[in-house]
Amino acid sequence: MRFLGLTMDECVRYFFEGNAIVSVIVLALITLFLFKEGFSFFGQNSTNLRVYRSAGLEFVDILKEQESGHTALTRYVSEVRLAWFRQLTGPGKLSVAQANERLQGFDTFAAQYDEAAAPLRAMLAGGPDAEASLTDIAIALKTKFLVLEDRKVERQQLIDAGKPAEAARLNLTEVDFATELKPLLAIRPLHAQANKDFAAALEDSLRALPKLPTPELDRMSTRLRDLTRQYLDSFPSYAERLASWDYSVPVPWYRSFSAFLFGRQWLTASFWQDWYGILPLFSGSLLVSLVALLIAVPLGVGAAIYVNQLSSSREQRFIKPCIEFISAFPSVVLGFFGIAVLGEALRAISGFDWLSWVPGFPFSERLNILTAGSLLALIAVPTIFSLSEDAINNVPRAFRDASFALGATRLQTILRITTPAALSGIISAILLGFGRVIGETMVVLLCAGNRIAIPDFSSGLGVVTQPVHTMTGIIAQEMGEVVRGSIHYRALFVVGLVLFMLALVINYVAQKIVTRYRISIG
Amino acid sequence: MSTPSTTPTGGGVFTARPSAARTWERYGILVLRSATYLILFCGLAIFGNIVVQGSRTVFKSSAPFINTDFFTRAPETLYIFEHDGKKQELGDREFRAYQADLAAAAAAKGEPAPKVKVLESYVYSAGGIMPNIVGTLLLVAGSMTIALFLGVSAAVYLNEYAKPSRYITLIRLAILNLAGVPSIVFGLFGFGLFVVFLGWNVSLLAGWFTLAFMVLPVIITASEESLKSIPKGFREGSLALGATKWQTIRKNVLPYALPGILTSSILGIARVAGETAPIMFTAAYVVRDKLPWEGLESWTDFFFQGVMALPYHIYVVSSKIPQNEYTERVQYGAAFVFLLLVACVAAFSIYLRNRMRNTYRW
Repeated sequence: MRFLGLTMDECVRYFFEGNAIVSVIVLALITLFLFKEGFSFFGQNSTNLRVYRSAGLEFVDILKEQESGHTALTRYVSEVRLAWFRQLTGPGKLSVAQANERLQGFDTFAAQYDEAAAPLRAMLAGGPDAEASLTDIAIALKTKFLVLEDRKVERQQLIDAGKPAEAARLNLTEVDFATELKPLLAIRPLHAQANKDFAAALEDSLRALPKLPTPELDRMSTRLRDLTRQYLDSFPSYAERLASWDYSVPVPWYRSFSAFLFGRQWLTASFWQDWYGILPLFSGSLLVSLVALLIAVPLGVGAAIYVNQLSSSREQRFIKPCIEFISAFPSVVLGFFGIAVLGEALRAISGFDWLSWVPGFPFSERLNILTAGSLLALIAVPTIFSLSEDAINNVPRAFRDASFALGATRLQTILRITTPAALSGIISAILLGFGRVIGETMVVLLCAGNRIAIPDFSSGLGVVTQPVHTMTGIIAQEMGEVVRGSIHYRALFVVGLVLFMLALVINYVAQKIVTRYRISIG
Repeated sequence: MSTPSTTPTGGGVFTARPSAARTWERYGILVLRSATYLILFCGLAIFGNIVVQGSRTVFKSSAPFINTDFFTRAPETLYIFEHDGKKQELGDREFRAYQADLAAAAAAKGEPAPKVKVLESYVYSAGGIMPNIVGTLLLVAGSMTIALFLGVSAAVYLNEYAKPSRYITLIRLAILNLAGVPSIVFGLFGFGLFVVFLGWNVSLLAGWFTLAFMVLPVIITASEESLKSIPKGFREGSLALGATKWQTIRKNVLPYALPGILTSSILGIARVAGETAPIMFTAAYVVRDKLPWEGLESWTDFFFQGVMALPYHIYVVSSKIPQNEYTERVQYGAAFVFLLLVACVAAFSIYLRNRMRNTYRW
């Protein structure tokens, strides 16, 4: 019996072969579709950045940056006030009203300090005789440009639909950025004077800073002076950037990539400017995974050593299925547990006085890196455990026996012989656990706190008590809401692409380590 | 397999003398042992918490002891309202009926309908989770069928036909890498290919294929393992009698490998059922009035409809509605049912596999 010139057996063979190739095809399709959907992001982002420059948003942002520096300083001022207030009030001390009265001098200073930025704010509002603020001008220009782009698309559609007459009727006058930007650029000559006024006002207000009573507060006030000085020193650079800014300087082609890879902001659906920078998400993913591994590696590897080398076979028959059972816990249930129980429990624990030495304790956000990391650890443990156990199991018996014969104890044998011999396998197990954790979605989506910002590392290890957002979490959260084909949609696919590449690299390295450093058994 | 430790622990003159090394050993072992049991304890704590809290929703103190409403009804909005100075809570349907009753009673007396003051309302916090369970079962059944078909065939090829070559290395590499791809990336891929490119929209079919591809590496590896454990003699005997390769595989390899393949694949089921990320934008709806078999215009519609799924429902109720005494019941209830479902499947597979290991020995 023949079919297309093939025997039955050959048909069957090719059928099976076809199914085997499915994995290759799927992998190729994943790559293809991530690229297909994601790649035009870079083109769109390039336009996005070009408009940002041409419409003068970049120019306004220089001023805004200068203003936000001052805002940060005023925030520090209120921190100082809060610290002083805390020292004054409390059991056996002043009442709130009395304390506020005592702080009146400081409040005058704070108001004056805050008021110092008035010249800069006036500039942002568009100068003395302006009709619209700088922000409004820039946004109007941007909108104009975007409308024009839409019209161009519309014209193309009309032409394609065979309606050239209607297409010709569309108003397609190019936006004349040079003239439109004039009111913005008119602010430049005023900036020098405004800076001078601003600096003078700040220094004036600092002179009014009252003497603070305790050494701790004194340190804070010295720091405030230092920070203000640094801020004042940065004024010339702002002036220079404003002076050298030119809307017509083209945005280099690599900016679109570097703005994505090194962008420190992921800001979408904003009225001002959308930013698609992966750093906040990447750092979030990385921190959560590191915390998870920090917990999971000692436990997983320790358990693997114990089960393989030290436990009785009855214990083994009990522990191994149990850990396998843990691996079957659905991640969404773990995430729910984090929201319902663990987050609150960790926050309560962090409130204990005798634990206040731990960095970051006490914390107020119950959903943070630590909560998500501890739950992810439970997901990583089974992977790390079973792979490490395999690796330890593959160490030849002779190694162990020789060590015992020389009089080593079991622990010495484990630490000096067995574990080093299995190290390549253990490291690859840890890497695969890392891959599992960084790709995990539901736990981080539910428990990591979902705040899109690069965590503040200034508190050292206490950074683990901050909420973050992650790469997997952002895809899961925003994919359902975006418009298909929009730049945001494509940005999410690029994040997926980064995750995919990361997973491939981790897999590759894990395999390389196993094959490269396997101890030859001979 | 590992062997129990073989430390020299004899009695009499061979007893080890106490030394610093032995003290360290004791402590070291203690540390390792506590690490092991800490893992088990954490697992138990989570399992226990969900089971204890969830059983309050799922079980009742009176016959039939199971909260049947929870398993036979769809999620509804919960209303907490005040009437006649009494605080009451009712699901959407009952709340409407209650209001209608009040209005009817008032109309009989010739009074205007009394106003019921709604204090709070929470979506999805009343009723049950029946459509979600149905949806999850459908998703698992479909995707496992596809994955088993593809996976077992691929394993047969790799184990029975393939000779070592570059090409086979490529296939194995693809399988290995596929296993490491994060589930959310599968979700994106499924969305890009099935939902958008092929135009299937959010549908069962899209979910099936996405989940099937995700679990494929697990099935292939498990099947190959099982095929490998069939002794060579089985094949050689059959071939020596003049059977073709396909006859050999069909009659003398697959029947013996199948139990092993199925048991290992059950663990794949646990994975498929437990994943949320891949179905979030390929198959799952937050809420859908109809059950999958209701209101179909033609039989093909069945495959192109989205379903409510239990894991997605748990995500929605735990992230989109606030946590309090009213909402906790349905949150814990759903988590408990889901965990139990997955845990039963996993426990069953682990049990079967351990039994298999002892049954077949050749």
